[in-house]
Amino acid sequence: MALASHRHISSCLCSIHSSLCYSTRPEMERSSLQRQLANLKKSLFDQGNLDEQFDQLEELQDDASPNFVEEVVTLFFRDSSRLVANIEQAIEKSPRDYGSLDALVHQLKDSASSIGAAKMMKECTVFREYCDKRNLEGCLRSFQKVKKEHSTLRLKLENYFQLLRQVGPAEKATRSGN
Amino acid sequence: MSAGSSYASSKLESDRVPDKFPVGMKVLLVDDDLTCLAVVKRMLLHCQYDVTTCSEATRALSLLRENKGAFDLIISDVHMPDMDGFRLLELVGLEMDLPVIMMSGDTRFNVVMKGVSHGACDFLTKPVRMEELQNIWQHVVRRKWLDFKEIERSGSVEEADLSRQVTDDSEYASTVNDGIDCSWKYQKKKRDAKEEDDNELDNIDPSSSKKPRVVWSVELHQQFVNAVNQLGIDKAVPKRILELMNVPGLTRENVASHLQKFRLYLKRLSGVAQHHTGLNSSLYGASSNAKVGQLGRFDFQALAVSGQISPETLAALQDELLGHPPCNLAMPAIEQPVLQQASVQQNNSVTFERGIAFGQPLLKGQAVSSFPVWPTNDLGALGSASNLGGLNTSQNSNMLVTMLQQPQPQTVPSESNHAINVQRSCLVNPAKSSNKFQVQGNPMHINQDSKIISSQSSANFQAGNAVVPVIQDSVVVTSHSSTSLKTGSNLFVTNHRSTILPSQSLTGISLGNDSGLLKQGSIIVPSQPLNSNQAGSNSILSSQNSMVVPSHLSGSLRTDKNIIPITHNSSLNNSSLLVNYNRLPTQSNVMPSSMKHVVDNLAAIDSFSVPVSMNSQVLSSTGSSTSWQLHSTDISISHPNGTHCLVPSSCNIEATDRLLVKLPDKGPGKNLGFVGKVGHFRVDIVLPQVSSDLKKVSFGWRHISWH
Repeated sequence: MALASHRHISSCLCSIHSSLCYSTRPEMERSSLQRQLANLKKSLFDQGNLDEQFDQLEELQDDASPNFVEEVVTLFFRDSSRLVANIEQAIEKSPRDYGSLDALVHQLKDSASSIGAAKMMKECTVFREYCDKRNLEGCLRSFQKVKKEHSTLRLKLENYFQLLRQVGPAEKATRSGN
Repeated sequence: MSAGSSYASSKLESDRVPDKFPVGMKVLLVDDDLTCLAVVKRMLLHCQYDVTTCSEATRALSLLRENKGAFDLIISDVHMPDMDGFRLLELVGLEMDLPVIMMSGDTRFNVVMKGVSHGACDFLTKPVRMEELQNIWQHVVRRKWLDFKEIERSGSVEEADLSRQVTDDSEYASTVNDGIDCSWKYQKKKRDAKEEDDNELDNIDPSSSKKPRVVWSVELHQQFVNAVNQLGIDKAVPKRILELMNVPGLTRENVASHLQKFRLYLKRLSGVAQHHTGLNSSLYGASSNAKVGQLGRFDFQALAVSGQISPETLAALQDELLGHPPCNLAMPAIEQPVLQQASVQQNNSVTFERGIAFGQPLLKGQAVSSFPVWPTNDLGALGSASNLGGLNTSQNSNMLVTMLQQPQPQTVPSESNHAINVQRSCLVNPAKSSNKFQVQGNPMHINQDSKIISSQSSANFQAGNAVVPVIQDSVVVTSHSSTSLKTGSNLFVTNHRSTILPSQSLTGISLGNDSGLLKQGSIIVPSQPLNSNQAGSNSILSSQNSMVVPSHLSGSLRTDKNIIPITHNSSLNNSSLLVNYNRLPTQSNVMPSSMKHVVDNLAAIDSFSVPVSMNSQVLSSTGSSTSWQLHSTDISISHPNGTHCLVPSSCNIEATDRLLVKLPDKGPGKNLGFVGKVGHFRVDIVLPQVSSDLKKVSFGWRHISWH
């Protein structure tokens, strides 16, 4: 008897358990998404693509402007793509005009700093140093790096925002380690 | 994690209620980088400020001008494509006296130092962080505090105090705001008697001088500049300026601090100006009236843009200008925009703003544009004066060229004007009369004159931009007449007049656009006519006059290009003679022996250089402005044929010399010029000092006959 009841209970429990499981699956998914998000963010920071300015931006986001960060980042990429194209053109047309190259890169750097794109900023700084020294070779090399970082960052952030949308607007990724 | 967040939360939560200030503080944010603009805007909104953004400095300036009381604080980027952030800073400081904070990713020492020297309240590094923005209200408060001080002395000191000092970073301690709140509100509403502030006022020091906050409006500033010009920039002391300005409620301290800013401003300008003298010449393009007309519009726009002129003035000018399309002025209007830009961009040429020609009657009275006073002579800025003497209004524009130079509106009409000396371009002055002014822009020198110009007239303006030193006049110019205008854009212009011109005549108006002109007048020209004028604009101008011309002669008109003007004047002479230009042997010395120029009438010669055709013969024209100086010799010019001779205008340009050229009888001769007989006259031509001018002009001697 006891056994039977035990079994019964356990089956009941099982069923309860399973029903419980079902109901929590979405949460589980969400939390796994969240975890993914957190990891992605962490990696962005750890790898130096982003810095604390990005955090500040996230803090600025609130109910009144829930997609602020995404909007700013989109704006940034739009502007910066144009700047990158300008730099490219300038290099082709008048590569020795270090003065104007420097000005363009400065603009790009400032823009990047507003969203906390740390690696890009660093690459821009290097670029500017080469400009100062009038080292065309160095300029070209560092420009390649700037472009690469630009596209890498863009991809990563696109992923990030996608995940963020999936996780739900109310959820903010917890900052990991920062 | 960051302090920001904690701040934010604390601020939002705890201090929301009592903390009224700086909530709602109105900030104008200017940055060409849209990303940064969006981020900083959001941050400011988070601080509960009221934010307006602008991605163009020029638009920001016009916003500020239109709504004087609408903003409490300005945050601006340093590197912007349409206008340098520092320049914006200066303009705001001079016109509106609002606190400005600079931002940049570039934090090198010299950049920050530049910010400080231009009057920035603070300098933020990009990327801007929330914490930094939280404290910016202190700059507003600080400024207001001074103002309040005296006011309200009533009762509680607390009321006025704005300054609550914020000691710690955590901004907004709740206590703080009460006091500030009061003050803030005060500002807005004239104080409500709030006593609540709990005295926090700390250090407010009642004894500090109270000065009501003065807003240096365009008119007030113009008055200030006028006063300074009258006294002479070196001798301008606040006390005397105050007396001259005679504005009730203005204290010596206000004037003193404004004067200090102004001096710095001028210093900067003159430094820049010197470099760019040459700039203008290139800018000036052909003269021509058409240009003028256009320019006028241009100018206005440019001016408007530059903010130099206040909107109303601009509108007025615009009307005027447009009304007289033909203005003759060749004012140097050079593309203003070009100039403008140039000037805008750093250092650019001197302020450009050069000359704007306005159509006549310009504003009544005010001349807009202020021209900054140059340290050296002060120029009075031109004032627009009503048409020039001489000139006919109508068309001819009276050019007023106002030069605007850097923003400073000034109108200085001074009467007396003396010739303005403009030295530097600055212009002008006019004598009453509106005369024109010259606006000149350009660094140039002109200077001129120096001499008297009697009469009103004239002014001359010279507008000119560009280099040109026009000088005009110098010398006597008698009578009204004005003369000479020179507008010139570039190049020389010259003077005109100089020399006497008796009679009104305008003499010379040189319009010049480039090229010299004229001279106009130089020499006497008896009788008016002249006018020269150039009438016409355009063209002409050649100077008309130059020389003598008896009868008006205008002769000489050299019109540059355009038109051949001349003649219009009619009479006499016929056609103007134009002068030909002769090549002068370099300046200096002129001229070889007397020049004789023969003048042919020429038809207009095109601007200098050209010895135009005149028919054979020499011509000399003095063309262009330049006055050569010849000393000695009496030259008679006469054409071998007996035809006209051209007389060079004597221009004296600067310098000494006066010339006199008398042309021997004038005789109507055929041709312009004077004609006539051979006589001898002495022409003193002074060569312009500016060699650049000469470059422009090429003269050729064709033949000189000597008697």
